[in-house]
Amino acid sequence: MIIVKDLKRCYGTGDTAVRALKGVSFEINKGEFVAIMGASGSGKTTLLRILALLDDATGGEYTIRGLKVSSLPEAERSYYRLTQVGYIFQDYALISEMSAAENVYLLSMMEGKSKKESYKTALEALEKVGLKGKHDRVPDELSGGEKQRVAIARAIAKKPDILFADEPCANLDTTNSKQVLDVFKELNEKYGQTIVMVTHEPWHTDYVDRVITFKDGSLLSDEKKMKE
Amino acid sequence: MINDIRVGALIAYCSVKRGNKKTLIFIVFVLSLIFMNLVFLPSMIGGLSGLFTGFMQDYPYGDIVIEPMGDNTYINNADNVLKKVRAVEGVRAGTKRLDVGASINHKQKVVGVTITGMLPTEEYEISRYPYIISEGDFLSDLSRDEIIIGAMIAGTGFGSEIYDNLGEVRPGAFVDVTYSNGVKRTYKVKGIMEGTFEVVDLNALVHYKEIEDVYGLEGKEATSVVVRVDEQGTEAQIQDKIREAGVNEQIFTWADKSESLIRQAMQSMGAIDIMSKIVSLIVGAALVLIIIYINVLNRKKEIGILKAVGITPRSIVLSYAFLSTFYVSLGISAGLVLYLSLMFYFQANPVTFYETMEISPTIDPVLLIQSVVTMLTLSVIAGILPAWSVSRESILKAIWGR
Repeated sequence: MIIVKDLKRCYGTGDTAVRALKGVSFEINKGEFVAIMGASGSGKTTLLRILALLDDATGGEYTIRGLKVSSLPEAERSYYRLTQVGYIFQDYALISEMSAAENVYLLSMMEGKSKKESYKTALEALEKVGLKGKHDRVPDELSGGEKQRVAIARAIAKKPDILFADEPCANLDTTNSKQVLDVFKELNEKYGQTIVMVTHEPWHTDYVDRVITFKDGSLLSDEKKMKE
Repeated sequence: MINDIRVGALIAYCSVKRGNKKTLIFIVFVLSLIFMNLVFLPSMIGGLSGLFTGFMQDYPYGDIVIEPMGDNTYINNADNVLKKVRAVEGVRAGTKRLDVGASINHKQKVVGVTITGMLPTEEYEISRYPYIISEGDFLSDLSRDEIIIGAMIAGTGFGSEIYDNLGEVRPGAFVDVTYSNGVKRTYKVKGIMEGTFEVVDLNALVHYKEIEDVYGLEGKEATSVVVRVDEQGTEAQIQDKIREAGVNEQIFTWADKSESLIRQAMQSMGAIDIMSKIVSLIVGAALVLIIIYINVLNRKKEIGILKAVGITPRSIVLSYAFLSTFYVSLGISAGLVLYLSLMFYFQANPVTFYETMEISPTIDPVLLIQSVVTMLTLSVIAGILPAWSVSRESILKAIWGR
């Protein structure tokens, strides 16, 4: 589903240049739940941002479902982000002045769905992440775990091909982290959702099928886990 | 595009609905002051212009004034002219006047004046002279050897300290008048007129017959025939009708006369007005720009997030266009309330200008519409620019600042 070939990312130029990715290659299959691990500065978040079209690679290429998305013009990248990719931020990244439902159905409206249909989709997505009845609450009225689940609902409401999650539990306690990971697990197992999650917590790997480890911008290991 | 508008509207709606109300009130307050600044001075200048125009109509020129043709000193058959004028439909009243130069002497003090010879009873329908007598009485048809003196030259009104005056002449006092042809007459002061207008208060009035006698005229001459019309605004049509009626003298409407006398002054004020408008608009646009820019900077991360999840930059820019339109509309509405309140206040309590003139501002709907449209347009542009600029930034820079 995702084919990454010799992907490079360099920030800055000359002596101050930082090579965040030094030419990584791997493939991710449809329906996989992959954890990308590594120490701070290993390049895992950079990789995720490039794959989610939030940043550009400076070398190499990658395809998603056969489409060379790295070379798409900005308007198409925007549409691709809207319809094909779900991205979950470490700090939830919700719009503070929008309710949980509005945060979610904004994207459906952008896709051209009617307000009624968008609202229905949003409620279904919020129910899927265990937030039934909390659709009217604004982010300030939700706990960290709930906010992250709204972010997940926003990402999955459009039924994306791939869900990218950048350290989704970084700001959560263990209980809330487990709730979020349970949601991911359910999405993966029940709906076959492909998930690529950046994390640095070893125990998070209990939930995934495969662990790709980075070190200093290079792929250190790629380990498939046996399903229970 | 429809989706962009819907999403833009939803973002703007949520921002207003759940945004900081104190900030909203502050923005609206500032915008209302900007709007006020835009319309208040022109309204005052309009009031001043109206005041001068009113003076010109009320005293020297009426609605229409007929003056001698070419180099002639007099309209030679003024009675005939008056007869024709009075027969014109839409003319309310007309009278003839004789303006002459003279000097007035009182206890060794001499001032030069224009003395107007008039028919007192006819003036009640034509001018406000009969109604501005601050001391004593106005002339009557039997007034001979009597004079009305303007307050500034009498030395009793405002401006006496600026202009030469006769040193507090009161009704009942006697003054010597030397006309431009050298004839001297002594008049008893019947009244002091105070029109709070130099053209009036620096002059004097006598009966028409006095000038006729002094200059040896035959009872038909006039230096002007002053006309009042039934309905304001019809002056130009009636001017044509008077011409068609066979009056071959120079015929001016008050506007024609004002053109030379007032327009120069108004042009200077107009220049101030235009400069003030431009400055107000620049300040207004800059303020809206700053307000929206700060707003955009505070939401830079949100803009990045919106882009990251697939919201188009056009939707984001549109949301700010809606937001600034909303802010500005509220600001204009509040500004209008403020403006109208001030207008009504100043209409009830006119501003005293030059210590004697009371200026009531005028509400000009065209000016209001122009100001609303200009402010909306400028503000929306000022609102869109920073949003457009930020929405073009890379997602990484907008969200994470790099």
